[in-house]
Amino acid sequence: MSRSRLSIVLLLGIFLLASAALAGCTGRDSTPAEAPEVSTPESLVVYSSRNEKFVDPLLEKFTADTGIEVSVLHAGDAVVNKLKEEAGNVQADIVIANDIGALEYLRLEGLLASPGEVEGIESINAGYRASDDSWIALSARTRVLMYNKDLVSEEEIPSRIEDLTDPAYGGMFAITRGGNSGMIGHVSALRYEWGDERTEEWIAALKENAGAIMEGHGDIRRAVGAGEFAFGLVNNYYYHQQLAEPTGNNVGVVYPDQGPGEMGAVVNGAGVGMVAGGPNPEAARVFLEWVLLPENQREFSWASLEVPINPEIEAVPEARPISDYVVHAMPLRELGTVWEDTRTLIERAGLDLELK
Amino acid sequence: MKATLARIRARAWNGQPPDGRLSVVAALIAIVMAMPVAYVVWRSAFAGVDRWARLLDTRVPGLLWSTVSLAVGVTAIAVALGVALAWLVHRTDLPGQRIWRWTLALPLAIPPYVGAIAYIVVLGPRGWVRDWLGAPPPVSIYSFAGALFVLAVFTYPYVFLVTGAALSRMGRAHEEAARSLGLGPLGVLRRITLPMLRSAIGAGAVLVILYVLSDFGAVATLRYTTFTSAIYYQMGGFDTLSATVLSVVLIALTLLVLGAETFGRRRARFHPSGAPRPADLVELGGWRWTALGFVVAVLTISVLLPVGVLVYWSVIGVAEGALDARFWGYALNTAQVAGGAALVSMVAALPVVYLRSRHASLASAALERLAYAGYALPGVIVALGLIFFGIRYLPWLYNTAGMISLAYVVRFLPQAMQSTGSSLALVSPRIDEAARVSGLSPLAVIARVITPLVRPGLLAGGALVFVSSIKELPATLLLRPAGFDTLAVRVWVEASESVYYLAAPAALVIVAFSVLPLKWLLDRY
Repeated sequence: MSRSRLSIVLLLGIFLLASAALAGCTGRDSTPAEAPEVSTPESLVVYSSRNEKFVDPLLEKFTADTGIEVSVLHAGDAVVNKLKEEAGNVQADIVIANDIGALEYLRLEGLLASPGEVEGIESINAGYRASDDSWIALSARTRVLMYNKDLVSEEEIPSRIEDLTDPAYGGMFAITRGGNSGMIGHVSALRYEWGDERTEEWIAALKENAGAIMEGHGDIRRAVGAGEFAFGLVNNYYYHQQLAEPTGNNVGVVYPDQGPGEMGAVVNGAGVGMVAGGPNPEAARVFLEWVLLPENQREFSWASLEVPINPEIEAVPEARPISDYVVHAMPLRELGTVWEDTRTLIERAGLDLELK
Repeated sequence: MKATLARIRARAWNGQPPDGRLSVVAALIAIVMAMPVAYVVWRSAFAGVDRWARLLDTRVPGLLWSTVSLAVGVTAIAVALGVALAWLVHRTDLPGQRIWRWTLALPLAIPPYVGAIAYIVVLGPRGWVRDWLGAPPPVSIYSFAGALFVLAVFTYPYVFLVTGAALSRMGRAHEEAARSLGLGPLGVLRRITLPMLRSAIGAGAVLVILYVLSDFGAVATLRYTTFTSAIYYQMGGFDTLSATVLSVVLIALTLLVLGAETFGRRRARFHPSGAPRPADLVELGGWRWTALGFVVAVLTISVLLPVGVLVYWSVIGVAEGALDARFWGYALNTAQVAGGAALVSMVAALPVVYLRSRHASLASAALERLAYAGYALPGVIVALGLIFFGIRYLPWLYNTAGMISLAYVVRFLPQAMQSTGSSLALVSPRIDEAARVSGLSPLAVIARVITPLVRPGLLAGGALVFVSSIKELPATLLLRPAGFDTLAVRVWVEASESVYYLAAPAALVIVAFSVLPLKWLLDRY
């Protein structure tokens, strides 16, 4: 007994010391630098729904370039909800999102603010910015079919998204859950093209025909690369990522719906938005101007192997430039107005938003 | 009016109302503990009839089935394993008994989400088994079967420990009488031992069921949806009110299990009879080695293999430089929030426990029950309540590390209360009286006389809270401020990206710390 008591005392001693040593650090963390009218801001709070491996290097470079310390929360899709819940007690300055629909939705909810004059903003086509510049898309991703070359050839997989419900492909492919932001954006585009009724029928049939419904696109690319499924519906940069894997990289890609009169491939973007009423608006503006510098636009796209929205910025070598194929006509900001409706439609069609 | 109040007060406190300040402090603590859960229930009232109807029609039936079927399945396997192992270890001449007694409890030190990750590495679609045999196992790990297997493997020790404790305390009179009347060893087991163990097995089973209902990490890792993961993912949508509705259903389910347990305990018919004495053991004969093989197999599956996987990836991780400044930052964050929770728990446990022990009454029992609210109910719900409550009423605490510590206290304070309570039970109330007579106020008695006397229990309680906090996942994920990750969060994030060499070292640290309080737990049983 006395020995166990000793170990408990030791254990307690260790964490008491640790907590005491850290007390100073917390004090700094919990009180954001409140230095009014000082021209050089010191800190910036970022909420990101992108994969943290893509975002962290960018933010580290920002700190190195500007000296502004960044606190980042990687919270996936929960970011939108968190910003909504915090409307009365705003914590974040900048939101980085994987989906233009989410950014425009936030703007429509009154949660984003116009940054005013921002240097370099003209480098992004107005169609890829909010009407008040409160969000800016920086990189594009296209919905493609990635296939495993060991299992099938290009001719053996569909060339049109519509054909995914063909029983000939039953069980051969993987899709994400309905609540994945890439999936939501894609379905919004289909509604725009086909109308709600046909889209709903298509989703119901798609769910039955798919071989697996997965949490995210990373799962799909690994599964297709490993040969678990012949092909999968992903964003094009997941194909670029899979090519870079040491194993399971014998994969190919089909940009769907490219024939005459067909709808074209569906595009979505990732970008940054300025949160309304954030604690460090000055730092947020510094960040926006910084991220619009050509080298940082390049970094933003290249980290995830996406394609830059700005045609002046070179794309990753394995990517087809966005001008190279037919793109669906719906303006990206349309995604925001229909976002919630699309979620409801997907759920009604029987494709669960979350995996069960 | 005043007289009525006084009468009610007298009855609630069983005729000896405590010092006013003490009861106010204890009541405040209990209310803070129950507040998050109460707030979730309150918010669900605003979800509207439509949302309730839609969820009860569409979501709830499926979740009830997936959750209850998993809980029942896991419990059945855990009971079978736990009872068989307890009997082998306590009642037979199995070689190496003394070693098995504690090693078979070790799976409790491995949080099931860590176990789930280890088994994805081994049995997953791109796991070791696929590398060795060329094909993954026929049944996917991401399934009901996978969740069933992983949860059973890491929860059977609850049944093993409780049943084993009952076996070693149980008098042998009945068993010996039955044997002298000609019953064989298996007959004694079936007709005497097992019926006598019924309430112990029931208690162990309830622990397993409650764990399965509350588990978030393992089922989410294995992509199997129960109420907890559904509630968590609902937070990713825009619809927090739906999350509160699902929470209320889960609370009802948990209370149902707790109610059934209370009922079952009242009905327990057998009591320990006779003093424990060295057992005359059942001779296994030729079965000895089969039994030994069984025990070793369970231990391999539940401890050696998962820890082996963690060590394997940790070695790779350390070679790749996983123990960098970031890692130590996460470790310090973890120590900070868990340490804070442990300190607060030690301070907060004593008033509630003292009141319950020295002023046993309806009121003190009610306060104690309230303080258990966050412990009995799943962590996802506690986090949900704290988010809602924190944003509106505690803006200065919201989005700080303090918020995570508060969640830990709400979730784990009863662990400190239990261990402090058992220390306090050894301190005679006469000591309090003597201190009062010599002129100390009731609060001063607690601070200056009782605290030093119950120090071992307080410290043990703090250590338990510390370790539980290190492992905690759902509340940490939902409440962490920007730029503040803990080891548990990193295990979760890295594993969900299949970056095992970064997940494993953090997981191994968590497991290593979790082994420490097991010793205390084993002394207790």
